[in-house]
Amino acid sequence: MQEKVLAISTAGIDSALPQVRGRVVKKKWMHHLLTFLMVFGPGLIVMEADNDAGAVSTYIQAGGQYGTRLLWLLLLLLPTTYFIQEMVVRLGIATGKGHAAMIYQRFGRWWGLFSLVDLELVNFLTLVTEFAAIALALSHLGINANLGVPVAAVGLITLVLTGSYLRWERIVVVLCLLDLSWLVIAFKLRPSFGELLHNSIIPGIPAGGLTASLVFLVIAIVGTTIAPWQLFFQQSCIADKRLRFSDVKWARLDTLFGAVFTIIVAGCMMIAGNAARMHGIIFEDPAQMANALHIFTGEGIRYGILLLMINAAVLGTTAISLSSAWAYGEVRGWPHSLQLPIREAKGFYGTYIACVAVAAAIVLIPRAPLQLIILGVQVLAGIMLPSAIIFLQLLLNDKELLGEEFVNKPWNNWVNWTIIIVLFALSLILAAQVVAPNLFPLS
Amino acid sequence: MSVMGFLKPQYLTADEVPENHFVVVHPLDDVPEEKIDTSRLGPMPMTPSVKYSLFALRGYLVLMMLMVFYHVIDLAGFIHHAR
Repeated sequence: MQEKVLAISTAGIDSALPQVRGRVVKKKWMHHLLTFLMVFGPGLIVMEADNDAGAVSTYIQAGGQYGTRLLWLLLLLLPTTYFIQEMVVRLGIATGKGHAAMIYQRFGRWWGLFSLVDLELVNFLTLVTEFAAIALALSHLGINANLGVPVAAVGLITLVLTGSYLRWERIVVVLCLLDLSWLVIAFKLRPSFGELLHNSIIPGIPAGGLTASLVFLVIAIVGTTIAPWQLFFQQSCIADKRLRFSDVKWARLDTLFGAVFTIIVAGCMMIAGNAARMHGIIFEDPAQMANALHIFTGEGIRYGILLLMINAAVLGTTAISLSSAWAYGEVRGWPHSLQLPIREAKGFYGTYIACVAVAAAIVLIPRAPLQLIILGVQVLAGIMLPSAIIFLQLLLNDKELLGEEFVNKPWNNWVNWTIIIVLFALSLILAAQVVAPNLFPLS
Repeated sequence: MSVMGFLKPQYLTADEVPENHFVVVHPLDDVPEEKIDTSRLGPMPMTPSVKYSLFALRGYLVLMMLMVFYHVIDLAGFIHHAR
């Protein structure tokens, strides 16, 4: 029997489909809104998951050292991070494949292997720092880390084992939106709104001038806001969600929304660090700051910051582990989708589980060299970020691959090459600092 | 249409969609669309911009590796700094 064909409008384009599972709406604006909500997810997740445990620490430290004087840098990073991820959106929708697979195919085995090994290594070391943050926050909450960390690891593994991309995405979007609590915390700390506006719009160097610690902090903020795993994650996520050509504009909007959301949350973290500075609190990590700050602000803020630290680490862990599992699955040619049951994608789920379980186990080893791991993350991420963005830029200029419609326009290239040159310069400054520690004054 | 009817996805045929209405389909419920066929493509052609970019990248990586190596031997105490 011939199947009945229905001419429908899917996200704005007409296509002839057999019986379809959908929602009927009358108004055009409702059609747009609903389509956006269906596409919404990967952009917000990739951006907000980047506000992970390391980012919380960096932004709060920036606030603790320089107050809100570096807010302009965050505002500058908003378009930067958007433009980079927007390229990933186009590449993911056009090819329906992940980033690792694209590098392998277009740049050959050597560069493919280099990118994959570097990604897997830096991701794994970052995961260890995420679990270290969970352990730290739990211990400040009076919960035994030896119990709490395995529970968190089991929860993170269970999150992806449901065989449903949508279930995973919905839970993670809720976790992302929980970060709105940073706005409540920032508001309760009563910052000077005039000063916030001034420091956001007018770039300036904090009192004390261009010191080594300021240069390091600026590089750390840039490095924590734009991370290599984000490129791999969003492209694979888009491929797994099977976004369509007609979804490009909504996926861009999702990415822009995610970028704005993330920068606002990051700014709130700086405000929290600034509050500690105003009260003369000296701290080494956000948990210590939350404990010291509660004398002035109450228990609510203390619990809020500690719980948000855990939330940040959980978000970072699921996104980073997935970027590793997707990339490895693509390169090995394994089935790699959250839509698949475990028995059909054993390698993909096995990689995810191994990443989470081993990272959690390392944190529980007494006297594990966590400082060395953090240093390793910074070095490897510094090496990887410019190279990953070079590959992205070359792929987005590959007319043979993407055709005229999806390749970069000349203005895209101007913007992106500028970003790449700045990132290279920052990495070289960081490297030069290592060789010549007296390059910038110490204080 | 009731609110629940609007929120809940339903299996539809052409007869069930009123005129001048839109059907919104989730990407995961949609028929997979044909993407750009990448299987026929080999390695990227070495145009001057690709060649120079990869050359610059190699130089950058070598430089970074030397920096890391210097830092490691410095930390190991093999380099004596002038006071």
